Amino acid sequence: MAKTIQNQLVDKDLLVREGERFLYTEAEILDAGDYQKWLTLLTDDIAYQIPIRTTRERNAHSSFSSQAFHMNENKASLEMRVARVYTDYNFVEDPPSRSRHFLTNFRLVSVDKPNSKCEMVMKCNMLIYRSKFDFVSHDVLSGEREDTLRKEDGRWKLAKRTVYLDHTTMGMSNLAIFL
Amino acid sequence: MNRNKLANRYPRATEILEEMKDSIKDGIIPIGIFNDEEIYQMEIEQIFGRKWIFLGHESEIPEQGDYVLRYIGEDPFIVARDESGEINVMLDACCHRGVRICKAEQGNTSHFRCPYHGWIYKNNGKLIGMPAQRQAYNDLNKEDWGLIHIRLEIYHGFIFGCLSQDTPPLETYLADQKYYLDMLFGLHKGGVEVLAEPQRWVVNANWKLAAENFSGDDYHLIFLHHSASDIGATPYSMFENMKGYHIHAGNGHCVSIALERDQDGSKTEFPYWNFPKDIYKTFDLDSLDEKQKEIVRDSKEMLGNIYPNSSFLVMSVTSDQQSEPVPFFSIRQWRPLGPDKIEIWNWMFMYKDTPEQFKQDSYRAGMTNFSMSGIFEMDDTLTWETATWTAGNHFSKKNLKLNYQMGMYRMGTAEVDDKWPGPGKAYYPRYGEGNQRYLYTSYLRDMLGEEKDQEGAEIKQDGKDYSKSISR
Ligand code: FES
Ligand SMILES: [Fe+2]
Repeated sequence: MAKTIQNQLVDKDLLVREGERFLYTEAEILDAGDYQKWLTLLTDDIAYQIPIRTTRERNAHSSFSSQAFHMNENKASLEMRVARVYTDYNFVEDPPSRSRHFLTNFRLVSVDKPNSKCEMVMKCNMLIYRSKFDFVSHDVLSGEREDTLRKEDGRWKLAKRTVYLDHTTMGMSNLAIFL
Repeated sequence: MNRNKLANRYPRATEILEEMKDSIKDGIIPIGIFNDEEIYQMEIEQIFGRKWIFLGHESEIPEQGDYVLRYIGEDPFIVARDESGEINVMLDACCHRGVRICKAEQGNTSHFRCPYHGWIYKNNGKLIGMPAQRQAYNDLNKEDWGLIHIRLEIYHGFIFGCLSQDTPPLETYLADQKYYLDMLFGLHKGGVEVLAEPQRWVVNANWKLAAENFSGDDYHLIFLHHSASDIGATPYSMFENMKGYHIHAGNGHCVSIALERDQDGSKTEFPYWNFPKDIYKTFDLDSLDEKQKEIVRDSKEMLGNIYPNSSFLVMSVTSDQQSEPVPFFSIRQWRPLGPDKIEIWNWMFMYKDTPEQFKQDSYRAGMTNFSMSGIFEMDDTLTWETATWTAGNHFSKKNLKLNYQMGMYRMGTAEVDDKWPGPGKAYYPRYGEGNQRYLYTSYLRDMLGEEKDQEGAEIKQDGKDYSKSISR
């Protein structure tokens, strides 16, 4: 009995490490602007959402909207956005802005292993630095991410991402990058 | 407004604008007006202090006690529905020391309580009490010390606020723009409703660049938004789309409609802005006159600016390459935050009595293309930012005169179309910058305080009064 619990703990620890590693690699690909490759890390039923946040009183149910989204994407819409990046008319991101993901405070929220399909939900804190052109100014986006990872054919993929931003009015002139 | 006094207070701005008054007749605008502290201060007084400014929609505050916080320029206003169901627009400032009393962007409350000394105001602005009232303020006439209300008027559920008592009523102010707003928003018995909370983001650009873009800069779609047509985000050909009208709709308001002249309506490719048939069948066409009916049926896309800084847009777009394009309504406020900064407010609307799924599809498609992550709009804000930056620089300010001449001197194919069935002065096709020149001519008149002629009489409003024909 004790041994099983021990094994489960080791299992969980390994899973978290695998999840972290996946998310670090994914962030590296995003920061490098290799969006074609990024698409291969997403499951076909990916849901990518950034709900709009408003300032509410403390007793309000939530400060995140259930209807308003900065982005509310599926695989097809993400593919269209990526297609746009590679047209000759990507004025806003050509030359690309320089962005850097900083991911910390990883937490395993849940693990689900129905049959061989393994899914886990991880939370992390996210800080993204972004600058462009020869300006000394820069933008910073802060938030919490909740990511669902799923193992498909032995590879981890991103099945769902919700970004809970620490911003109501956004201080960036566009959201032409992925968070 | 005493013009001398104005010129004394804003001498440099007045000089620039007086010069522009001449140059705009030639289609020339000095770039300096897009980034200048003195001009901005003058705008806050002459434009934002005197015009009807869009604040929100009734459907954002459906219940008694619902409120949202909105702005006119820098001043914050609480837009609240009180216990009797009436809407109030009140300065968010306590009458005791000016402390802000509204804590959130939106919510529901019966009272607003000031955190400093605890004065309590009802959601209609009435001061009803304070701590230790008998010892501290026993003889105060509370009637005199409620929150400051400003003028508000509502049209198709859209709430406008005005800081001046001298400005004509909203419907007079809207002039010919009413005719076009009726076509869009009066088309469904249940009216329109907001689909979600507005998206807000800050862009380092001058507010006029956004206003002029929505007033009739269709020309930029051909190039700046080439990516959108390349990937199929919109079914329109941007060149074909130039077939259409630019309309001066009175008092600085502008409309731009993609509508092919002399076409047979039955062959329209995207009738009724590409609304699905089972929805456009429910359109309340009886409320429209014959001309409006035709325009509604045959126009592919329609946008405009409600002078000074609110815009609207209806067109058809898709959120991915597999879905059919759907129409959306986006309403904007280009809130000025300085000579080189705006906060964009972006609301999506739809007819209230349409299927929930359609509303969601419309919201998603609209936001995919027109928002801070919009396939179209990401590139717009980039250009407004660099133009604003240029406008603030020493050499450019002095030397850069901008060309707004399309449609003048036989440049641009746009010509006045006397046969345009609607009100306002119309031009066809959309290869012209007449709307922008019209916007800035109105702007100059307001900035220099020339609404009144020499004898002090109100200059005739150029729009007709349609208020009697409106069924609402
Ligand atoms: S400042 Fe509001 S109660 Fe004193
Ligand atoms: Fe645009």
